[in-house]
Amino acid sequence: MRALRGVSFDLRVGEVHALLGENGAGKSTLIKVITGAHAPDSGTLEVGGEPVPHFNPREAHRRGIACIYQQPALFADLSVAENIALRLDQPRAFELARATERRARAADLLARIGAGIAPEREVRELSMPEQQLVEIACAIGSGARVVIMDEPTASLTQKEQHLLFAVVRELRASGAGIIYISHRLEEIFALADRVTVLRDGESVGTNAIDEIDEAKLIAMMVGREVTHLFPPAECPPGEVVLSLRDIGCSLSGVRDVSFDVRAGEIVGLAGLVGAGRTELARVIFGLTPADRGGIVLDGARVVVDDPRVAIAHGIAYVPEDRRRHGVILEMPIAQNISMASHSRDLGWLRDAAELRVAEDFIVSLGIKAAGPDATGSSLSGGNQQKVSVARWLATKPRVLILDEPTQGVDVAAKSEIHKIIRRLAADGLAVLMISSDLPEIIGMSDRIGVMRGGTLAAMLPGGSDAHTVMSAALGKEAA
Amino acid sequence: MRRFWMRHEMVLLLVIVVEVLIFNAIGRRFLTADNVANIVRQSVEIGLLALVMTPVILTGGIDLSVGSLLGLCAVTFGMLWGELHWPPWLAALGAVGVGALGGCVNAALITSLRLPALIVTLGTFSLFRGIAEALTGGTIAYTKFPASFLALGNSFFLGVPVQAWVFFVVAVAVWLLVHRTTAGRAFRAIGFAPEGARYAGLPVGRRVALAYILAGSVAGVAAVIFVSRVTEARANAGVGYELAAITAVVLGGTSIFGGRGSVHGTLLGVAAVAVLGNGLSRILSITAVSRELAGILTGALLLVALAAGALTTRWRGAGDRGPSA
Amino acid sequence: MKRARELSVAAVLALLLLSLAIFAPNFFSPQPLLSRLASQMPALVAAIGISLVIICRQIDISVGSQFGMCAVLAGLMSAAGLPIPVVLIASISAGAAMGAVNGALVAWLGLPSIVVTLATMVTWQETLRLWQQGRLLNLPAGVQWFGLEQWKGQSALIVFAVALVAFGAWVLRRVNAGRFVYAVGSDAEAARLAGINPRRVTFGVFALMGALVGLAAVMNVVQSPQVQPTCGEGLELKVIAAAVVGGIAVSGGRGNLWGVLPGLLLLANVNPALTHFHVQAYWEKAIQGLVILLAVVADRRAAR
Repeated sequence: MRALRGVSFDLRVGEVHALLGENGAGKSTLIKVITGAHAPDSGTLEVGGEPVPHFNPREAHRRGIACIYQQPALFADLSVAENIALRLDQPRAFELARATERRARAADLLARIGAGIAPEREVRELSMPEQQLVEIACAIGSGARVVIMDEPTASLTQKEQHLLFAVVRELRASGAGIIYISHRLEEIFALADRVTVLRDGESVGTNAIDEIDEAKLIAMMVGREVTHLFPPAECPPGEVVLSLRDIGCSLSGVRDVSFDVRAGEIVGLAGLVGAGRTELARVIFGLTPADRGGIVLDGARVVVDDPRVAIAHGIAYVPEDRRRHGVILEMPIAQNISMASHSRDLGWLRDAAELRVAEDFIVSLGIKAAGPDATGSSLSGGNQQKVSVARWLATKPRVLILDEPTQGVDVAAKSEIHKIIRRLAADGLAVLMISSDLPEIIGMSDRIGVMRGGTLAAMLPGGSDAHTVMSAALGKEAA
Repeated sequence: MRRFWMRHEMVLLLVIVVEVLIFNAIGRRFLTADNVANIVRQSVEIGLLALVMTPVILTGGIDLSVGSLLGLCAVTFGMLWGELHWPPWLAALGAVGVGALGGCVNAALITSLRLPALIVTLGTFSLFRGIAEALTGGTIAYTKFPASFLALGNSFFLGVPVQAWVFFVVAVAVWLLVHRTTAGRAFRAIGFAPEGARYAGLPVGRRVALAYILAGSVAGVAAVIFVSRVTEARANAGVGYELAAITAVVLGGTSIFGGRGSVHGTLLGVAAVAVLGNGLSRILSITAVSRELAGILTGALLLVALAAGALTTRWRGAGDRGPSA
Repeated sequence: MKRARELSVAAVLALLLLSLAIFAPNFFSPQPLLSRLASQMPALVAAIGISLVIICRQIDISVGSQFGMCAVLAGLMSAAGLPIPVVLIASISAGAAMGAVNGALVAWLGLPSIVVTLATMVTWQETLRLWQQGRLLNLPAGVQWFGLEQWKGQSALIVFAVALVAFGAWVLRRVNAGRFVYAVGSDAEAARLAGINPRRVTFGVFALMGALVGLAAVMNVVQSPQVQPTCGEGLELKVIAAAVVGGIAVSGGRGNLWGVLPGLLLLANVNPALTHFHVQAYWEKAIQGLVILLAVVADRRAAR
């Protein structure tokens, strides 16, 4: 299998060129080729009209290519100033490290992008968005001619996003070319000059942004026209299953959250990154147990201080990071699905039953895989997500918490996952769905909880408009 | 993946067959009932340690302290029998208890304090041996055990050395634990992705603890067999055994990074090392030289097995680097 | 609080020395004190190396066997009448070569250093036994203390080793190569993306470790009229313990060379202190293990 086949891509001076494609379309591989992290098997790479034969990260840097990664690639143990220096100077091994100079330049660069971070702080103390700002400072400081941004807004707050957009526009004005990767179409329309769509490792086409609209872009990505409709609710919610009473956890900053989730109901949980949604899910699931308030299940108060207790009570949590937490990539699908059902006690394995359960889920959730023995790593993102969901359905839960169930999943799989969620609710599951995808929250939820600063800021009825939800998330009165 | 390990085990089997053929052709009295019993006797203790090292390495950990713990358990056994005049069977229980306790120390530091297994067991490697040396003042050796006890290490039952029966029972138990129970599945899951296992609700801490406590307890069993076989209990019992055990496990195809591996692979690994050591001693006349040569070859063999493992993984990794990048 | 670890170790050391001064004043009579100090200097030099290795998030437990090999080599060459500088170069080269074997296997094959160095430890150790069969080597006159008076030789060794620590600390702090070691230990992938070659750094650290062991071996050989082939046994634990106690984090990327000096002296003085307080000397290994465990537990506590 090849990750990339015969792709041609060009970037002009002073443009923002968006790169779009489903997961696995080859975006990351293309980026790795451009930054010299991977060597291509065939084809050439030219910078400023000059072919570059032996490409590696050092050479890429010398030619003015800088990359801001999704997960900031910084040294946790070193100071901000040193991180910036190591990235920018490509220092020679046997030269002195000039600490004062490094600190002064770091302070200068951080000031230019409006980030209030002290250069002598260690990176391990910084929050994710702060780390991303350091990355951006590196790119600015390198005076790069080509800046690659891989999902740069994934962990930024609204304010930081605006800061970032301003920086992107400034870069463009100064004559740099920017490769901008994002799943969020509205960002692409707001920023990009041209957009290239990749599918299955091939380039589907490059268009100027004003020649194209959202529907067309989606069609290019999936290869067919898809009108994304959210499945409708099928039946009215039943009894209250999960009830949170002033729950809080000082360790993770969750405080005083109270709401109910009924059987057959989907409660969406919206909010900005850092609002405490995943933290709340982790509290309910017992990963970081609550130290205040309580959880009431079917009218009975329960103490959930460990995921196994949660499982025993019928609480399931499909985590956000499916490659690290949701599935174990090296293990077969069947073993992944049975895993949470094994958590309760020590017992014998039952291969036949395990296989049967896996085959059932492969059919009922439409998991596209070579078979129940295929490893998690052989699946696409959407199918990994379905395996992760299947693992939890196998525990026969009554409460299902989904954390960003369609993040980084391609459009077709996304709509399938939506149908599955709706069907599960119709079967009487109480569903709590965390999502940063506003249309998804609005389209899927029966009620919308909005979190801000570790607590529940509002509980809105289903079908509220995006403006209302966003205002609540930002802490403004809806106009 | 399954096919790959089948192949690995077949290769190992072939290595053992070739070893046997060579030693049988040029050595003196290699393939005789006496010598085969000899090989079994000499490899039971290391074999036991290798068996229980397998789950530890499957969880992505390592236990460098088993050899030292064997020494400490041997000394404990000697003291309980020699100083407190416990009957041998009770002293043996005491030794296994001390082994379990040692395993608990490792497990507690690794799981509840989340310290790296490497440095913890390096510390207890020194600590356990140090306690053994201190208890015996560095020199005392307990000897003159009753013949009924020495029979454990030096006689036959149904035509097979007695300790081989103990080994057989432990091997079956460990095999069942690793391959047929949910705990075995959990070992692998933890080895592949400790965080992922936690999110799946697996009792990560308890499973990891189980692996280390099992390792400690069986080190105690191995200590009793060791004392019976060599007829004395000293502080230097089992020096270097941790390396031999790790070598057998890695040679048997268990990935040092955790997750992949099997108990039957480990058994083949033990056999390969044991046949090599014994075969060399049959070829070379000077025992000391053959022991050192066997040591060098074991070290080299471990490096070769590791390098081969790393190279095949890299080769396979390059092969299926799919679109999921 | 930046130097908290170094200071607290130094404080414990001071406390130990103080209690010795009160209860066992003859501990401080100058000549045995100088000898005791000088005898720790080879370990100090090796501890510099292991600190680099640990900062780079690796481990090397073949240090002791490498030390034995280098010491025997240096002993044989001295016995053959070769001048000290030649012996020194040969020993350092031999050490660097053995370190390079570890480094190559760890850096280019991506093998875990613990198992690689476990295997090389046994290989060198058994090779040495096969080669020497435990024989003691007698050295010609003029090798011991470089032919100087004893106190001069001892002082020279001490000054040299401490200067080497100072130099090493300076390089780690102020020279890019030193920062690279921290960078690789902190995050090898990020280092690669920043244009640092983590494999080269890892290899370099192991080779340097070997070279320092070669140097340390010669510093050991010149201290006595004989070379014992077993002189390196247990050295790996001693230096790892010194580094860990001195505040080098086993998780890599953190720590300062200055902590290693009090760390080593603390460990080295526990045993003589025990004998002065009339406790059996056989506890040395147990105490070393306990100190390693205490240090990592303390680190974990502090990190919380």
